[in-house]
Amino acid sequence: MIRALWSRRHLVWALTRRQYDLRYRQSVMGLAWAVLAPLTTLGVATVVFDRVVRVDTGGSSYAVFALAGLVPWTFLTTAMNQGVQSVAIAQQVVTRLAFPRAALPLSMIGVSLVDLLVSLGLFGIFAYTFGDGIPGTVVWLPLLLIIEAAFVTGIVLLGAAVNVFARDVRVAVPLIVQLWLFVTPVLYPLSAVPPGLRRWFDLNPMTGLVETFHAVLVRGRAPDPALLVPALVGTAVALFAGTWYFAATESRFADVI
Amino acid sequence: MIEIENVTKTYRVGVGRARFREMLPSPLDRLVGRAFPRWWSRDSFDALKDVSLAIPRGASLGVIGHNGAGKTTLLRVIAGVTVATRGRVTISGRVAALIDLLVGFHPDLTGRENAYVYAALHGLGRRAMASRMNEVLEFAEIMEFADTPLKRYSAGMSARLGFAIITALDAEVLLIDEVLAVGDAGFQRKCVAWLDSYRAAGGTLVFVSHNLGLVRSMTERIVWLDHGTVMEDGRTADVLARYATASERRQDATTPASHDDVEKLMQSRGLHRWGAGGARLEQAHVWQSDEIGSGLEVAINYDADGLAEALFCIGFVDESGREVGGAASPPMKIAGGSGAIRCSIRPLPLRTGVYFPVVGIISPDGVVRDRWRLDRAVVVPVSGSALGETFGPVEIPAVWSTAGDPS
Repeated sequence: MIRALWSRRHLVWALTRRQYDLRYRQSVMGLAWAVLAPLTTLGVATVVFDRVVRVDTGGSSYAVFALAGLVPWTFLTTAMNQGVQSVAIAQQVVTRLAFPRAALPLSMIGVSLVDLLVSLGLFGIFAYTFGDGIPGTVVWLPLLLIIEAAFVTGIVLLGAAVNVFARDVRVAVPLIVQLWLFVTPVLYPLSAVPPGLRRWFDLNPMTGLVETFHAVLVRGRAPDPALLVPALVGTAVALFAGTWYFAATESRFADVI
Repeated sequence: MIEIENVTKTYRVGVGRARFREMLPSPLDRLVGRAFPRWWSRDSFDALKDVSLAIPRGASLGVIGHNGAGKTTLLRVIAGVTVATRGRVTISGRVAALIDLLVGFHPDLTGRENAYVYAALHGLGRRAMASRMNEVLEFAEIMEFADTPLKRYSAGMSARLGFAIITALDAEVLLIDEVLAVGDAGFQRKCVAWLDSYRAAGGTLVFVSHNLGLVRSMTERIVWLDHGTVMEDGRTADVLARYATASERRQDATTPASHDDVEKLMQSRGLHRWGAGGARLEQAHVWQSDEIGSGLEVAINYDADGLAEALFCIGFVDESGREVGGAASPPMKIAGGSGAIRCSIRPLPLRTGVYFPVVGIISPDGVVRDRWRLDRAVVVPVSGSALGETFGPVEIPAVWSTAGDPS
């Protein structure tokens, strides 16, 4: 599957571009939506966690802190929501043309990555306007993004393949992602989690990853390897399971879709 | 070169259990299949049964058969859209499958944008496509609409774009499924002409169509599929004649058989048999020799008790039922009762095509007593003349000479 995909990598690119062209083709706001999605969440979160609950962000502006978590989280949300249904909605193409099916979910991840870059730009503006700028530890950012992208790719491949057979996935994913947000320290710091719950939080691969985004983008601290272990294990498991299941079932997509 | 060895394609029908079984990844699926073969094969349907074919490089193969015969499944298996349940398919060369001209097109994208995606889906990169874009737009005759969203295109324009991109793929094996039916006649001719040049350049073609005329002109060999098995595999003209005859019979099964029924349906045109009654045709035989340009012999047995004199006629309709031409006899003395007459058409003035003879008996007052469309097809093979497909079905017997020739 991987070799076939590599030889058709231009297809992934073409589909990403098409998806991008399409998304904003008939909209007035265009690319602004890539910024508006994290901004609205940020607005609500600021009211709840900064005014109502008052979480301790360790001295940094809450908006900057929360946005550092929302940047990777929005990527996960859009990539999963779009990626999981990418094969099933391309029914026409799948039943008529032979091409590596994984190009469909991967192109959705590609689109989400472009959005991610836009929201990173937004974060930069926020960091310099409301916070203390971007610390030098930002050099760790590419590594974190690679880990997250690999993790999301694994989950999306698995979800997209299962969704071909059981469309329940498409309905379940937004719900799961929504609940996942509450149990991941995106809008609040990991330090706000009571010690009794910590070990449960550590089972969540995204906990350490998002916390590390906070660390390198806001607090100016290098990644804590211990925090990243669950993320790396989760990434390995997701990537293996997703690739294996997708490769094992993709030859049947055209028959059941 | 395409090699198809003992290919069986099984689809699982129904929902519920069938769906669950599909979800199992391949190794597990095989394991369970071996453990519970009976349970495993329930609710399944074989679209292809043990089909073997070898298509050499440069060959043009037509695939015909009734709906549900497995034609499209065969094409999908060759294209790699779906995988054979059992058996093996090996192909060498770049394959392009044209199962649907518009697949992958998005109405909100422009013609140019769609062309890039469509080409990428077929394996052609952006740079390669960019260098041929003008050629494609020109072939599709949509140059001035290249940057217009596809939703403003007419159906014909979209279809033209779809075909035009295929011409840019440099495919070595082309699989075409019933797609030339779209678009206007002019563009269809252009497509056929391109396919001719593609074949002349050594391209391999597998062509699925219900349009027997197209199949005949595009292929030299035909595979006739029926319920997933190869019914016949041979020279186009031979297989086509038998297939056309068999399909006519199939349709006949639904038309009334007895003479009484026929009389009840008198004058209802379009049926295979009609007439005013009072005389009837018992049997008709048609002999056609294999040689191009040779003639046709017809023998008609009749039963005309009440008539002393009658005219006979023979005519031809094409696949779509359009009347092509005919001949009527002068009034002939028939000494009451039954008898037989013969008719010889030599040479047969019909050009390349599939035709069905119509025979009739007419009383001297001009009333058609019995008229009968035979279920035996007359196939006129491709003659190789310069006219090819154009200028319709009638061969005009012309004598040519150079100017100044004293004759």
